[in-house]
Amino acid sequence: MLHRVGTRILTVEDDERIRTAVKLALEDEGWTVDEAGSGEEAIELFHRGSPDVVLIDIMLPGIDGFELCSHLRKTSDVTIVMVTARADTHDVVAGLEAGADDYLTKPFAPKELSARIRALLRRIRPMSPGHTKLVFGDLEIIPDEGKVLRAGVELHLTKTEFRLLVELGQNPGRVFSRETLLDKVWGYDYFGDGRLVDVHVRRLRTKVEADAANPRHVVTVRGLGYRLQS
Amino acid sequence: MTDSRDPGQRDLAPAEPVERGRFWRRAWRAVARFSVPRFGLRTRILLTFSLGFLALSIFLAAITFSFTKSTLIKQRERASIDQTYHDASVALNALNSGPVGGQGVINTLTAYGIARPLLNYQDAWVGSAAGFGDDAIPSAMKVAVINNQTPARMVITVDGAHVLVVGVPLPEVDASYFEFFSLTEINDTLRSVGLSLLFAGFITTCFGIVLGSVASRRAVKPLGDAAQAAKAIAGGRLDTRLETSDDNDLRVLANSFNDMASALQLRVERDARFASDVSHELRSPLMTLAASVQVMQARRDDLPERAQSALDLLVADVARFQGLVEDLLEISRFDAGAIRLHLEDLLVAEFVRQAIGVSSLPNTPITVSDRAEGLIMQVDRRRLARVIANLIDNARLHGGGEPEVTVTEAENDGEPLGHVWIAVEDHGAGVPVEERHLIFERFARGAVAGRRSSSDGAGLGLALVDEHVRLHGGNVRVEDRRDGEPGARFVIELPAEEVGV
Repeated sequence: MLHRVGTRILTVEDDERIRTAVKLALEDEGWTVDEAGSGEEAIELFHRGSPDVVLIDIMLPGIDGFELCSHLRKTSDVTIVMVTARADTHDVVAGLEAGADDYLTKPFAPKELSARIRALLRRIRPMSPGHTKLVFGDLEIIPDEGKVLRAGVELHLTKTEFRLLVELGQNPGRVFSRETLLDKVWGYDYFGDGRLVDVHVRRLRTKVEADAANPRHVVTVRGLGYRLQS
Repeated sequence: MTDSRDPGQRDLAPAEPVERGRFWRRAWRAVARFSVPRFGLRTRILLTFSLGFLALSIFLAAITFSFTKSTLIKQRERASIDQTYHDASVALNALNSGPVGGQGVINTLTAYGIARPLLNYQDAWVGSAAGFGDDAIPSAMKVAVINNQTPARMVITVDGAHVLVVGVPLPEVDASYFEFFSLTEINDTLRSVGLSLLFAGFITTCFGIVLGSVASRRAVKPLGDAAQAAKAIAGGRLDTRLETSDDNDLRVLANSFNDMASALQLRVERDARFASDVSHELRSPLMTLAASVQVMQARRDDLPERAQSALDLLVADVARFQGLVEDLLEISRFDAGAIRLHLEDLLVAEFVRQAIGVSSLPNTPITVSDRAEGLIMQVDRRRLARVIANLIDNARLHGGGEPEVTVTEAENDGEPLGHVWIAVEDHGAGVPVEERHLIFERFARGAVAGRRSSSDGAGLGLALVDEHVRLHGGNVRVEDRRDGEPGARFVIELPAEEVGV
């Protein structure tokens, strides 16, 4: 098992039966599961239990999933998985832009969910000896410490954003296709959703670029994918 | 019971009269059909206008012609009669005044410019050199004028030309005066009038044809619009409506058409929404089921044998249920027109290999022709992967398993068609020709499903294949295996082009 012992998951879902069944299934994976029936309850539990993963159903009474997601993102780099009704709506992009790391469409098999969670919680492979940091102009990445500095100031990236940046940085100048990044960062096969990469790159740029509209570090190579440069 | 008996009883008694009535009706219809060829509405309007204008112009021309003719002849006659009386009085005066003799009178008249005088004086005939002799005058007229002493006029034909002859008796001097008048000018005039009328009639008829075609087009246009709108509705554009016109008669048509379309749209939307709502509602319990079943499955070994069998059934059918609900959701998206494709350029061969890898038979062999290796297509990869998966499921469930997939460039007698063929061949019983179009229907049951027998069967799988492929600008068909062995070959044809082109 790749996940670390004691992984804590908060599921936010207003349907009590689904919540209970998902909790049972996730507990079978050896994880600790907290349940919240509403966004308000989730915020309270989040601050008390400090979970590693939050599973959020977009359709919630009161504070909806998007709001909850961006609220948590303000203060935390916790891994967030969204549950949406459909894959081909704007919901997915909106959820990812609100800060989610990945998404699932209902109804999903709990096995799928645990596979997603495991992929998102994977540790970054350690740097080869002698290399401790990657430098791209004013950008400094220290993978082993999970730190990114721009002009000496530390940036706050989510775990997924950080993995994406490190993945791009470990082979400087190489162009990564969406498929490759989906595989390396999210653990998806050929049929992953390319929008995950696109939205995460957008989010990453707002943090690592001086001007996100004219990126200098994370650049798009048209028709091929993305590349990290100085 | 009563339903099936009633019509029978009603039929028995009046059988004969009905038969007879039907015979006459049929006979009449046969006659009507024989005598009036069945023209379209436009042709009928056009014919009505053209024939109407033709009849009108013939009628007007005939009236005008006969009126002109009678007027001209009457005028000519009156003038001729006046002239004759005048000339007769000249002749009378001449004969009374002295012994000039017949020839003298004629000479006097010719000197006045009278062209064709003829005098019967003391039973002798005297005429001018240029005129006609007495033999030109019918004997009946001679009798009337000379013997009965009554003035007369008559139209005669001399050398093919119409000539008016007027005769006046001069009893005081025992003479009769005749004069001939040529009617040739009148005929010439009438001929040119006739020609003008013919020309005018022709113009009028042409005008009628033009007017008729304009009118027919205008009359038929609303029908054409309605037909087009109906076609659009049948094609799925349910929001199509007819423009309401100012014309009262047409407004009725347009309004009822639009009412019908609205009702239809409402109904179709309600049905689609119902299917969508049902599947959305089903997702929540399904989530609970899927998660709970998984928990139980993890403890399968702890269960007694009978419970294990029951659990296996539950697991299998929850999976099937889940697939069905996903298919239903997808199909209701099609019906709502809410599908948005995420199109990407993909290498066909690579894509098909990957799609097989995530299907229910990931080890299915695949053959890719050399030319097909370099083809790319623009598709929604997850939707098209579903298409491949569904075809493989179909082969697994109905085609005896062990399908083979081939990817070739679409061609017609060696001519590439700019498409790619992705074919899934199975070893089942094949699909009879007459059922091939039915197999892509939703929940295709009946003979098709019965023949292809399986409890998993008849779902939405192939219907989704059809919808997805069509949305990608392609098509799907089923045919016999290429190698002649029993089995079906499902081929999807999608637009594709060579890399770098």
